[in-house]
Amino acid sequence: MNRFSANIIGLAFGAMFGGVLAAGSLHEYDTIHNMLKLEEFYVFGFMGSAVIIATLGLGILESRDTETSFGGTIALQRSDIKANHLKGGAIFGSGWAIAGTCPAPVLVMLTSGVFLSLIVIAGIFIGLSLANKQVAGFGDGEHRLTNQVGKRA
Amino acid sequence: MPDKMLFGAILPQQADWYILGPILGAITVLFFLAMNQPLGASGAYIHTMNYVRRSGDSVTWRVWYFVGIAFGGFVVTQFLQDAKGLRTGFDSFRNAAPLWIMVPALFIGGILIGYGAKLGGGCTSGHGICGTAQRSKSSIAATVTFMTSAIIATGFIRLISGGKL
Repeated sequence: MNRFSANIIGLAFGAMFGGVLAAGSLHEYDTIHNMLKLEEFYVFGFMGSAVIIATLGLGILESRDTETSFGGTIALQRSDIKANHLKGGAIFGSGWAIAGTCPAPVLVMLTSGVFLSLIVIAGIFIGLSLANKQVAGFGDGEHRLTNQVGKRA
Repeated sequence: MPDKMLFGAILPQQADWYILGPILGAITVLFFLAMNQPLGASGAYIHTMNYVRRSGDSVTWRVWYFVGIAFGGFVVTQFLQDAKGLRTGFDSFRNAAPLWIMVPALFIGGILIGYGAKLGGGCTSGHGICGTAQRSKSSIAATVTFMTSAIIATGFIRLISGGKL
């Protein structure tokens, strides 16, 4: 696969993801805040049903050793729990509660016309680069950076 | 804003979760089927930041993914959605606190989100949806932790705002 088609796929999936978040008003502070106040079930239902469908789908792909279109044989990434997962999760959760939004919905918030979201976006970038000095690499899924198309050294 | 929008509103203000959630699940599976990769938003931030700084690892499709999230949100919120009574943004926060509290709070909130996502290796999409769906122990632990921490923090926010938030 060339770099161009990888970029198109990235853009298309980003647009679908952003569109779904917007359709659920997940970019609204109130939606997230009402979930975290445990007053609305909506986001729990949204995330829960997404996880159930994705777990089933990925389980089927894995059990059949499906060949993916551009990434070789399906390889789900699993890792053991380390202290950083819990520390990072606790810090992330408190920021999520304060800002009432998280990395993807805040981008939708911006394009919905709420310019105060730029403050949160700036904060996210600063937070990421602060932690960059402490933790090398990122996440379960992106260890395989070197295998990816479109990498710029 | 005219009553009828350019294409007419074909989506409600908030579509049902039992339609959108499964669609998001299907998008996650389809993306694995194409690229054999999870779709995490904080990863996209890191790649975008590295791309702009021209340092470190940067995978260009993740930069396009970052742009895509904003673009998809733009199309839906501006053209497809019933906007009446929508666009509340941070209004309820704004009504409960003066700007000099809200602006620093949003900034600190953002820093905590970014710092925590990098330290924990993911956020709501990467751990919460893609990671748990791969049945990764670390993602399940991170998801339970950030859900719990966010609910507790929200309780504190309610307390210090005197129930206004």
